[in-house]
Amino acid sequence: MLTGTKSFFRARQSVPDVKDRMLRYGGLDMEGKEPVSLHILPGECILQRATLVRKKLSAREGGGWLSGTLFCTHFRVAFVPKDSPKHDENADPVFLEDHDVALATIEKVVAVGPSRTKLVTANSALKFIPEELLLYCKDFQVFCFLFDRLTPETQVVEITCAIARAYQPLRPRAVLAFQNSAVGSVEMKQFLSNRQRDASMSWFEAPANWEAELKRTGAVGWRVSGINERFEMASSLPRFNVVPKKVLDTELKNTFAHFNDGRIPRWCWHHHSGADLLRMAAFQSDIYHERDDVSRNLEALVFGGHRQCVVVELAEDMPTPADIHLARTRLRALCLGDVSMPVSLPDDKWLSTLEGTRWLDHVRICLRKAVEVSCLLREGHLTVILQEADDRDLNCIVSSLVQVMCDPHCRTVAGFQGLVQKEWVMAGHRFLSRFNYHRCHDKEEAPVFLLFLDCVWQLWAQFPSQFELTADYLLALHDSTHLPLFNTFLSNCELERNRHTKHLPQCYTPVNGWREGLLPPSPHGSLDPPLPPVWDWALQYSPQRRACFTQPGPPTAPHPPALNGKFNTNKSTDRTPGSVFLLSRGTFSCPLQLLPWRGGVGPTPSRKSHRRAPSTEESPPPEHLLRAWTLSEASAPVPHQDPWDPLLPLLLAPCVGLWKECYLRGALQARAFCHPEVTSCHPVERLSQEVRQLGDELDLVSAIKGTRSGGEQVVQ
Amino acid sequence: MFSLGSGGAKSPKPSFVSYVTPEEIKPEGEGHLQERSPEFLPGEVVFCSAKHILKCSQDEDSECSVFGTLFCTNFRVSFVSDAIPPEDTVQPFKNKLYGENDIPLSCVDQIYGDYDEKKKLITSSQMMNKYPSKIIIYCKDLRVFQFSLLHAKDETAKKIFQGIIRHILEPKSLKCVFAFSYGETTVSVPDVQRKQTTVMFDTAADWLDEMKRTKGGCKLVKDNEDFGISEKLPQFFFVPTHVENEDLVKYQGKGIPIWCWSHHTGCALFKMASLPVVQEESNAKVQKAYMERMLNAVAQNHLYSVKTEDLSETLPNIQDIQQSYSKFKQNFLIDSMAEFWVSDVKWFSTLETSRWLSIIRQCLHKAVEVVESLEQENTNIVLIEKGGSDLCCVISSLVQLMLDPYYRTLIGFQSLVQKEWVEGGHNFPERGNLLHQSDKESPVFLLFLECVWQLLQQHSPGFQFSETYLTVLSDSINVAVFSTFLFSTPCQKASIMKTEPDRGALNIPPVWEWSLQFDCKAQGFFINLLYRAKSKQEKALRKAQRPKYTRQLSLPSTPPPKKGFFKEETENLKKMLRGKRISRWMQLSDSAQASVREFYAAWQRKPLDYHGLLLPCLDGPAVRLWTQRYLRWIPEVQILGGGDVALMNKMATLVQEVQELCKEVDRQVCQADSCLENPMVFLRSSVHLSSSFPFAANRMWSFRPAIPTSIGDHQMDMGQLAIRDDEDTETTTDVF
Repeated sequence: MLTGTKSFFRARQSVPDVKDRMLRYGGLDMEGKEPVSLHILPGECILQRATLVRKKLSAREGGGWLSGTLFCTHFRVAFVPKDSPKHDENADPVFLEDHDVALATIEKVVAVGPSRTKLVTANSALKFIPEELLLYCKDFQVFCFLFDRLTPETQVVEITCAIARAYQPLRPRAVLAFQNSAVGSVEMKQFLSNRQRDASMSWFEAPANWEAELKRTGAVGWRVSGINERFEMASSLPRFNVVPKKVLDTELKNTFAHFNDGRIPRWCWHHHSGADLLRMAAFQSDIYHERDDVSRNLEALVFGGHRQCVVVELAEDMPTPADIHLARTRLRALCLGDVSMPVSLPDDKWLSTLEGTRWLDHVRICLRKAVEVSCLLREGHLTVILQEADDRDLNCIVSSLVQVMCDPHCRTVAGFQGLVQKEWVMAGHRFLSRFNYHRCHDKEEAPVFLLFLDCVWQLWAQFPSQFELTADYLLALHDSTHLPLFNTFLSNCELERNRHTKHLPQCYTPVNGWREGLLPPSPHGSLDPPLPPVWDWALQYSPQRRACFTQPGPPTAPHPPALNGKFNTNKSTDRTPGSVFLLSRGTFSCPLQLLPWRGGVGPTPSRKSHRRAPSTEESPPPEHLLRAWTLSEASAPVPHQDPWDPLLPLLLAPCVGLWKECYLRGALQARAFCHPEVTSCHPVERLSQEVRQLGDELDLVSAIKGTRSGGEQVVQ
Repeated sequence: MFSLGSGGAKSPKPSFVSYVTPEEIKPEGEGHLQERSPEFLPGEVVFCSAKHILKCSQDEDSECSVFGTLFCTNFRVSFVSDAIPPEDTVQPFKNKLYGENDIPLSCVDQIYGDYDEKKKLITSSQMMNKYPSKIIIYCKDLRVFQFSLLHAKDETAKKIFQGIIRHILEPKSLKCVFAFSYGETTVSVPDVQRKQTTVMFDTAADWLDEMKRTKGGCKLVKDNEDFGISEKLPQFFFVPTHVENEDLVKYQGKGIPIWCWSHHTGCALFKMASLPVVQEESNAKVQKAYMERMLNAVAQNHLYSVKTEDLSETLPNIQDIQQSYSKFKQNFLIDSMAEFWVSDVKWFSTLETSRWLSIIRQCLHKAVEVVESLEQENTNIVLIEKGGSDLCCVISSLVQLMLDPYYRTLIGFQSLVQKEWVEGGHNFPERGNLLHQSDKESPVFLLFLECVWQLLQQHSPGFQFSETYLTVLSDSINVAVFSTFLFSTPCQKASIMKTEPDRGALNIPPVWEWSLQFDCKAQGFFINLLYRAKSKQEKALRKAQRPKYTRQLSLPSTPPPKKGFFKEETENLKKMLRGKRISRWMQLSDSAQASVREFYAAWQRKPLDYHGLLLPCLDGPAVRLWTQRYLRWIPEVQILGGGDVALMNKMATLVQEVQELCKEVDRQVCQADSCLENPMVFLRSSVHLSSSFPFAANRMWSFRPAIPTSIGDHQMDMGQLAIRDDEDTETTTDVF
């Protein structure tokens, strides 16, 4: 209804003479005589500038217009408001100020003239003086700049062309040039290599982190193994993995071959009820009969410290990465409104179109899987293993969602970052291929991580008071994934990541003692700029925005749960194999070939016992699980207040929302939509500010009174 | 149900299986059954009752089914459980007139009977002798009740079934409505109290005050005091000054531009019932001339041009609204949870196909158009509709809400409803099907409340009342106690109230006496915590800033007519211009659309002033489902300890803290010596809040499905995963 006008445009190709002019003006900008100056990064140089430009502010910035100067550099499009405070020269450089956008994030540049709209590319010439410049970004943002009549026309044309030439969309290897422009300078390298890592979060690069995690969750019977320290066993696995204590490294060695890509069952998390969460890839080898001890070790790996094991199959009813990619593309088209699309969507078709993207369905399916696993874990005394063919996509989503639901620690900023390190970065999620920064993995592109962020947002939206981190934080992380500058997202596994960064942390292995970094520096290692991790937020966001990452009144941190001593003292002496079940499509079953070594041919002792097992397993499985669940229903009416109870989100359609602050900000901003719900800051925030203010006032008053009465006493 | 589930999405219809036979409960039940009955209201009479009725819950779970006694009175169908309710249940939001197991007769929407596992709609015409095993009652406030008659004795079951059917579904006369027997037996509230609150617009003084407030200049018509002009018009109303008195009586009240509201520039909003269609040419000519005179008279109002807006042409008609709503509400009237899960997959598209949200959008859009004409172009607007009392009311009240911050206060809103709807002659009993006599049912007033809710959720700091208030108001339409929704016209009200002088004062209270339904504490939920009244300072500032109104847009060449000077010329000029204007407005062109869009964009560019003009956003994602009203009784979608309520709760605490601190600061500053007063002691009752708070706050939390899966059909029942809430939500009732 009240939408913007339809826009038509066609890209025109012609040889510009603008190029020459641009080069002429290029040097001019280094003078920096104007009062408004850009705080540039070391080595960054300004390509073009335009004065007296106005920027359309989004609703969260308060709406309206802000006038200032627009810059285009090698690295970003920057906007400096007219009366912005003078920069502290000694302050650390920040990649992007509040009004800036990195060139690599821009997807489209559109110039709006008095009567026409045109998509500007590197080769196109402008036949008109633009009045408005729209930058459509990959992260759903839209920047809108308005040129006043006072803006010199040459500047208008030139900056538009400069941006169009500089952002270089979709070209393979463009990312490297972009990185070089951002952090390639000597000063920048120096600066980055001197930065301290955030010590408050766990990076899971060193065994100490894993040991701390084992201790924090109260898991017993596990050890950190350094068998993969040289990435010889499994190239995609991290160097340190947590495996059952009773499996020795020498025994472990033989198990890698039985799993896809060598991704053996590894411990992820321990629920305080006593259950353990593991993840693994699909079984690969089917030759087991030769050596019995291999299957014994496999059993030990799978069962951990428990007699019962549930394999949660993630391939069956979950979306594939391709599905996720498709849904995301549709969602993008819906929310951002492709400018080149002549017809805008009628408002009364919004809901069904949203449904048609299936994005929300995928969100729900992931959350549902995580809810199922959380409920299984709550019962304790069993091992839950997530199994996915390659253990690098959906396993990451589900295992981390389970932990967000069940572990209050993971709802703090530090805990959440540790979680992403543990379950995504170290576990070898293929960030580089999935985000497709280099534009050479088109087939593998899938925003799996963004799906995860949306799931976390859903949890946050339903239980905002249970999170220390805020939606602003999630949004910041969402945006950062579109900036190809962070080593967190620029590799597919730890091995690759270590090749990028020369220095390897000192590491300790029980077998070999202390060692230095093991890998030879890659030939081009010194050429690559040292890339920072994404968690270095001070590099990316101003302190004001970082202040919004945590809630004003965070939930009280729960004390660690009393370990109720329920965890099994492993009856590993018992030779009978434990029972194993498959949870797939929401139902339990016991397929015969679930653990392939059990069904193997050949006379092995394990097979003998196996003969007994299936007969009982045909019947409905985990008896005690069933019982426990009925019990929990009986006691349901009084919801108790254990902070360690999982957050179980409601997943019926009316309860699942669209992340408007993320997906709709661009569309709304482009129409100058003043989002009614979001005022400049959240009401809760405003109120708590008011409380603080009044408290101060009160202090002041009482202080004055105190001095006055004190003075009176002195007089008397 | 989720698409990913394997088979078994459609579970068979739940068949009730009782694990307790009636014989078992009889011996112990008999003892205290006699005493247990609902607290009857004054004037309430029991028609029939039946024991051993089983109230079934929506999920096929026998544990939540309760035995009890069913009463049918002249006010409600009431179920009293045999089980003694636990003493300590706190009900923060209890309705005093009817409890959670009561269904006011007028609140019943549809009754179904379960005959041999087949659900049949029961209409009064086919009064069945065979009673069903189960009665399913759908309420207009979207509750669903299921009463099983299997365990009651044959004749009592039959009696109660027939009693319920008769008293609910059969047409009845207005005098039989419970409000009359209630009104005869209660003592009237002193008039003084009422005066302080809502303006009732039943006296000439109220209307004059309103005219003074809006600084309009129209003529008060007092001739209709005894409804001589028209029975559909209020006793007092305003017309443009230049309307001749003899024209008023020509068409029984039709075709008269009735004043609604004046903009601060002087242009005004009028509504008008359209003239009857005539065949004869001579009559048509007369009518045309009459209309011309009327529009001319309107145009004389501050000499602005006129724009007529025929709502029946551009908006969906009454039947469309009814059809759309009855489709829409089916999404929320749920017998069993399995049904709800089935709808889950196509939830959004089902909502869309009902077109209810689209109708809301259309109404809001129309209102924005009218606002644009008033605010931007300074034209007088005449809304025209057949009866002049349905969509005219919707649009005119929405326009006033958007333009005038006074109506966004609680009292102002109630006065607006009183002015536009009650005195404006909206036929509440017919539209609400109160008497089951007509087929002209249509939720027009609800549509208005929906539109208000959309505005409210988009600009919540601008409104003094909360969405809970709107929800309660929408429920109150269906409680036949209040005079507000009882009469079709002010004339009917006056005649009925007058004819019974001998029987003592008939006191039927208006719905605005909220104390009848809720205690003070519960009424606190009506207030929006975020609303901030305009401070006096701000007011003064605004007054100074507001420019003297200019008329550059309309009739730019016309100075205020000086006596005799140029009069004829200006008349001619005006006529010419007006002719053009009117004709231009008749066709709603693209340029008009564009100008509305421009107007909206211009408004957005300005900083938002919650005490100024508020416009709704009508984009796809912005028009939303009124979740509180529609989803409050469905436990599956209630987020326990989460949702907006958690935020609201936090806000309540903070607001309280701010108030406390303000008080403390004041105290410290004013009387700097004494510190005798203790800070207030706050009562905090720890109630677990769900997202549908304050409704359904104390329901049995029988959470079956945390997740919509097909697992329910298998042995592993994930439904047992009770939603646990690990939050220490505390409600702070003091704030209210």
